[in-house]
Amino acid sequence: MVLELHVWGPAFSLPSIEAQCLATIAYFSLAVPKDAWVLVASSDPSVSPTCELPALRNGSTWVSRFRNIVDYLRQYSNGEWDLDGGLSGLQKADKIGFSSFVESRAHALVDLSLYVTSQNYYNQTSPAYGSILQWPSQWILPPKIHAAAKARTDHLGLSSLDLQAIEEQRQREHSAAVAAGQIPPNFISRPRDTVTSLLGKTSQQNQFRLDALTGELFEPLEEILGDKVYLLTGENEGPSSLDCLAVGYLSLALVPELSFSWLRDAMKSKASRLTVYTERMRQQCFGLNAEVSHAYTPTPNSGSSLPWRAPERARLTTLGNTLFSALADNTPILKDIRAQDRLRVAAESPDSGLSGPDSQKLSAFAKGQKKDLLVNIAYAVGGIAALVGYMAYEGFFSVEVSDEYEEEDELEDDEFEPMPDIEPGSLQVESILAGL
Amino acid sequence: MTPDGRDTSAPALGNVSISRARDYFTVPAPIKRIFDQFPLVTYAPNDLPQRGASNRTGNRLFVFTDAAGAKSHSPSFNPQCLKWQAYLRFVGIDFDIVPSNNHASPTGALPFLLPALPVNNNAPIPSSKLQKWAIEQVHCEEEQQLNLRFEVYASLLDHRIRNAWLYTLYLDNENFSTVARRLYVNPSTSNLLVRATLAAQLQQAARDELLKTSQYIDVSALEAEADDAFEALSTLLSNNEHFFERSSPGLFDASVFAYTHLILDKGMGWKRNRLAELLQKHENLVQHRERLLKYF
Repeated sequence: MVLELHVWGPAFSLPSIEAQCLATIAYFSLAVPKDAWVLVASSDPSVSPTCELPALRNGSTWVSRFRNIVDYLRQYSNGEWDLDGGLSGLQKADKIGFSSFVESRAHALVDLSLYVTSQNYYNQTSPAYGSILQWPSQWILPPKIHAAAKARTDHLGLSSLDLQAIEEQRQREHSAAVAAGQIPPNFISRPRDTVTSLLGKTSQQNQFRLDALTGELFEPLEEILGDKVYLLTGENEGPSSLDCLAVGYLSLALVPELSFSWLRDAMKSKASRLTVYTERMRQQCFGLNAEVSHAYTPTPNSGSSLPWRAPERARLTTLGNTLFSALADNTPILKDIRAQDRLRVAAESPDSGLSGPDSQKLSAFAKGQKKDLLVNIAYAVGGIAALVGYMAYEGFFSVEVSDEYEEEDELEDDEFEPMPDIEPGSLQVESILAGL
Repeated sequence: MTPDGRDTSAPALGNVSISRARDYFTVPAPIKRIFDQFPLVTYAPNDLPQRGASNRTGNRLFVFTDAAGAKSHSPSFNPQCLKWQAYLRFVGIDFDIVPSNNHASPTGALPFLLPALPVNNNAPIPSSKLQKWAIEQVHCEEEQQLNLRFEVYASLLDHRIRNAWLYTLYLDNENFSTVARRLYVNPSTSNLLVRATLAAQLQQAARDELLKTSQYIDVSALEAEADDAFEALSTLLSNNEHFFERSSPGLFDASVFAYTHLILDKGMGWKRNRLAELLQKHENLVQHRERLLKYF
């Protein structure tokens, strides 16, 4: 059985755009023989039942997340495909400690660099997603990922890297000043900030903070690396899983050509040995530059050292599902119902780690909450109906009402059956695009 | 509410519908009479709470605790508060404990400290600046500088163990209703509605925090990561009295103690405590907690 590793697609001449996926690819290329696995750039979390990438598929078994995949590989191969087998006690502790350190600190910095820094997001990251995602995911997923990255880095207080947030802040202040009546609205001039002037201003303001953050990440790593070949181990002991994690995050810091490359500059100036190490590990794990074409139209002599296999094009049902869930997740009341449902599904699924009675309780709780919600909706609908009825009874408005309702019904139908006149089957995206 | 609407001598027929519409928005006379009575009584403003008016002169640390705990200086039940409470105690700074909650804090998070000196300066010190303040007071060393592993292993506590803690305390329903409700929700109010809202907010905040880094909450993964973290900490401590072979406990010991004490504390009343099972596998961490408990 060949193991299938599903990941986010290639970008920035790296085989994946996401750090955990890069780390998992690095682990596979270092630990697993080349004919035992294939790499699929499916770029769609919904391929796996856990809705996460990277995900490993072995027949009907799905495993997601770097750590779980590493554990699964060790069990699957009876300890043969295990990079951490030979570590000593303190090395093992260091592996755990530094893994947590890299995942938390480097993740935040990569988020800041690729997503929160507006110039980089709009000029590089967003187009990169555009080239690996299919319609309609390319319109749905990147904003979600962008928002999640902003939420994750919120506590660092660096939102001034985000031009959009600055603009919103300024508009708020502007309207607050107008509302307070301090200045007549005509007299408030709105200086048009060019991107360069903003860039200069924000980079100065942020410089100290970013300097501290990057220093906190790179200095311990540089020190533990020392003159060794790998972070924890020497040449003859071979790499550990920490090296895979590190190359996943650090290559996303080092390799991408970005408009505002503060992270790469900081890494080069603060950690020269770590920079050399990252470049060497990257060559060793990912081979030559990865192109998007390697992943989607692989040929035996394309020059890529990774065992790519072309992902299946999305089927119509998948597309319909994506569209439906995107619409439903953005509809106010439906959103809450779906959130409750997700909790229940997680609780009832056998691998959620809850024992039988616990999962029953949790799902009962979720059902109860759903009932509350339905009661609320019923109250609201009943209230509105009573009001409308009263007004109609008093003759407050005339008979046009019924026409309006019909129009609204039609609109709703359109929303929930996005492509009613296309026959189900394995139609490909192109034909749907043409059909539209 | 113009008098015209009620003016019966308004002549034109065309105005009938307008005045009808206006009738819907005028307040009916009986209701208006009731509302004219408001406000019925205006109460005098409340006095300041007695416990806030005490004129103690020492440093005051505001933490999550109850009145009895504040008097006896027993450990706080919140890991962040306990960390700083323990640290200040370890470096030998005298302070009083004041029971408080997040709304009292200038940063929105406990703990914070009101220093005794200088006398007319009552600028509170948030937890992020407490270490700097303590170093100025007693000239203890800044431990982060001494060992590169300090920050690295601290990330285990701040992420791996904290995430498992968040799940155990807030999202495990049995623990939430017996422990978190008793400690965080019930002392704030006796109003059932407010209690229910507060509880829902707490749980939602914990869930949001866990979902920031993953798509769904995987309990077994959280526990496995906490298990790894305890193993790494146990290896780091090995046979020493304190972390990093210090002769006296310091900030890192306080951070570890904040979690290990609360996980092992019988007084918390845990219903299901998987973390304690994982922690008890490492004898040296259990002993470390018992040694430090003597400071309280």
